[in-house]
Amino acid sequence: MIEIKSLNKKFKNYQALKDINLHIDGGEFVILNGISGSGKTTLLSIIGAIMKPTSGAVEVSGENIVSLSDFHASNYRSTMVGFVTQSFHLFDELSVEDNLFVPLVITNLSDDEVATRIEDAMSVANISHKAQQKTKNLSGGEKQRTVIARALVNKPQIILCDEPTANLDLDNSLKFIEIIKRLKEMKKTIVVATHDPLFSKLSCVDRVINIKEGSLE
Amino acid sequence: MLNKKYIKFLFLLLLTYKKKHLSVFVISTVIVAVLTSTLFISSAIQKDIYITLDGQADFTIQRYKAGKVLNTPESWIDEFLDIDGVSQVQGRIYGMHFYEPAETYFMIVGVDLFDQEVSANLKKLINGIDIDKFLARDNMIIGSDVKKFFDEYQYKGSYSFRPPDRSIKKVYIYDTFPKDSNIVSSDMIIMDKDLARKILGVEDGYVTDIVLEVPNPKEREMVRQKLIISHFNARIIQKKDIKRYYKNLFNYKGGVFLTLYIIVLITFLLILYQRYSLISQNDSKEIALLRSMGWRIDSVIYLKVAENFFVAFGAYLSGVIIAYIYVFFLDAPLLKNIFLGYTNLAHDVSFTPNINNTDLGIIFLVFIIPFLVAIIIPAWQKATIEPTEIMR
Ligand SMILES: Nc1ncnc2c1ncn2[C@@H]1O[C@H](COP(=O)(O)OP(=O)(O)OP(=O)(O)O)[C@@H](O)[C@H]1O
Ligand SMILES: [Mg+2]
Repeated sequence: MIEIKSLNKKFKNYQALKDINLHIDGGEFVILNGISGSGKTTLLSIIGAIMKPTSGAVEVSGENIVSLSDFHASNYRSTMVGFVTQSFHLFDELSVEDNLFVPLVITNLSDDEVATRIEDAMSVANISHKAQQKTKNLSGGEKQRTVIARALVNKPQIILCDEPTANLDLDNSLKFIEIIKRLKEMKKTIVVATHDPLFSKLSCVDRVINIKEGSLE
Repeated sequence: MLNKKYIKFLFLLLLTYKKKHLSVFVISTVIVAVLTSTLFISSAIQKDIYITLDGQADFTIQRYKAGKVLNTPESWIDEFLDIDGVSQVQGRIYGMHFYEPAETYFMIVGVDLFDQEVSANLKKLINGIDIDKFLARDNMIIGSDVKKFFDEYQYKGSYSFRPPDRSIKKVYIYDTFPKDSNIVSSDMIIMDKDLARKILGVEDGYVTDIVLEVPNPKEREMVRQKLIISHFNARIIQKKDIKRYYKNLFNYKGGVFLTLYIIVLITFLLILYQRYSLISQNDSKEIALLRSMGWRIDSVIYLKVAENFFVAFGAYLSGVIIAYIYVFFLDAPLLKNIFLGYTNLAHDVSFTPNINNTDLGIIFLVFIIPFLVAIIIPAWQKATIEPTEIMR
C-alpha cells in the first residue's frame, strides 16, 4: 500500500529524515514511536502530501505522490488520506458538522450523500451529540474527535494520526483508542505517531516502528 | 467550480465571520461614497453651467478705463451692426445689488419683454409670464436664493430698492424661479429694463454692456479683430473663453479631489494588502487548513476572491446609494461649498441627477480591481507554500 524509498528531508542545514525505507501493508495498523524532535511529524506530513521531501519517493498504490502536480496532490489529500493533526486545526466559529462539510465542498457529492457522510463520520468518531456546537466551545477531547471525524468524512483508505493522545486525559485517550479499533475493523491503513506507552500494549497494533534522530531502527 | 456546495460554504463563511469584514466594508463604503459624490456634484454642475453658457451670446463687449468697467454708450450698437457677420446686437442693463441685511449681492437683470431677441436663457426663465400684468406696476421675478434672503428679513410681496439718486423704489415680487431651474439664476432678479436702469443708476444713452452673435464660427476671429480696432477701450469676452474658464475651474477642483482620493484609495489598499499578508494569522491558517484537506490552489483563491468580492461589491453599492442620497436629496452639504465657491451667495442650489454611467463604471473598476488584487496576491502566496509551514 505505502512504499517509502530512500526518503530524506532537510530543513536548511538540519537533516530531519535520513534515508527512510519503509513498507506498510494495506489495512495495517502501525505505531511510529519516537521522542520529541525525532521526525515523526515530518514523516507523516510527507506521507500525507502536505510537505515535500528533499529526496526519495513515497509510492501509494504504486503512484509516487511526491512528484504529483497540485491538481493530483490535492486530489490525493482529499480522497486518499485523512490527517489527524497534532494540534486541533478547526474553523473555531463553525459548528462540528460545518467543519465536516469543509472537505466535502470540493467534491461532486449530492446533498444527500454529503449529509450521510457527515452523519456517518460523526457517529464513528462519537461526536454526533455535538453536531450543532461551535468547535471553539468544545472540550479538548471533543475537538480531537471532531478532527478525526473530519479526517474520515471523505472515506480515505489511509489514516494518519500525529500524537493523538498528547493533549488528552486518560479517559479521552481510551475513547480515541476505541475509535481507532473501529477504523482497524474497517480495514483502514493506520499510522499513529506517538510516544504514549498506552499504544504499545494494544493487541490490534500490527507493528511498532521506532524512529530516532530521523532514522528508523 | 461554482457549485451549490461552494456557494453554501461561501455564505456560511461570510455570515459567520461578518465582524472580520465589517471594518473593511465600512471604510470602503465611505471612500466610494465620497468619490461618487464628487463625481455626481461636478457632473451636475457642469451640465447646468454648460446649459446656461450655451444660451449666452457669442461676444460680450464692455467699455473700460484704467482697469475699471464703465457703462457702454448705446451708440456702439449701430456701429457693431455694420460689421459683417454680426447679428443680434443688444445693449444689456444689469448689475449687482448689495443686500445689506445679509451682506450679500444679488444680480439685477433688466429685460425688454417686447424684444424678440432676448437671450435664450432669459427667454426660458420668463417664458409664460403675462407681459401686460407684469408691466402694470413695478414687478420683479426673483431667484430662489433671493427669495430665501427676502423671507428671512420679512420682505414678503415687495422690496424697496435705493437707487443711487437717493430715492426709494418699491418693487413687487411677481414670481420666483423654480429652485431647480439652474445654478446661475438662484441669485438673480429679473425686472423691466427701464426699471433696472433706474435702480442701477445707468444714465440714458448708456447700457451696462453689449452682446452680439456671430452665427458663423469661422467669422468670429475676424469680428473680434474688428471690434478691437474700432474701440481700443473695449474689453471683448467670448463665449468660448468663459466656457474654458469654467472648464479649467472644474478640472482643477475635480483634479485636486481625484488626486486626494487616489491617495486615500492607495493607502487603503496598502492597509488591506498588509492586513491579508502579515497581520491576518487567521486567514493564513484558514488557507493552510483548506489546502491540507485537499483544496486546490485555484479553489482557495476563488473562495477568497468571491468572499471579498461580496464585501467590495456591497460597499460599492451602498457607497453609490449614499452618494446619490447625499447629493440629490440632501444637496451635498459641505462638498457643495467647495465646488461652488465662486459665486457670492450661500449657494441654495439643488442638484438635478445627471448620472454618468462611465463614471460609475470607472469607480467600479478603479475600486474593485485593486481591492481584489490586494487580496489575491497574499492569498496566492499563502496557498502556494506548504501548509505545514503555516500550521506548525
Ligand atoms: N519547518 C522546519 N524548519 C526547520 N526545522 C524543522 C522544521 N520542521 C521540523 N523541523 C525540525 O525537524 C526535527 C523533526 O521535527 P518533527 O516535527 O518531525 O519532530 P516530532 O518527532 O514530530 O517531534 P514532537 O514529538 O515534538 O512533535 C525537529 O528537530 C524540528 O526542529
Ligand atoms: Mg510532531
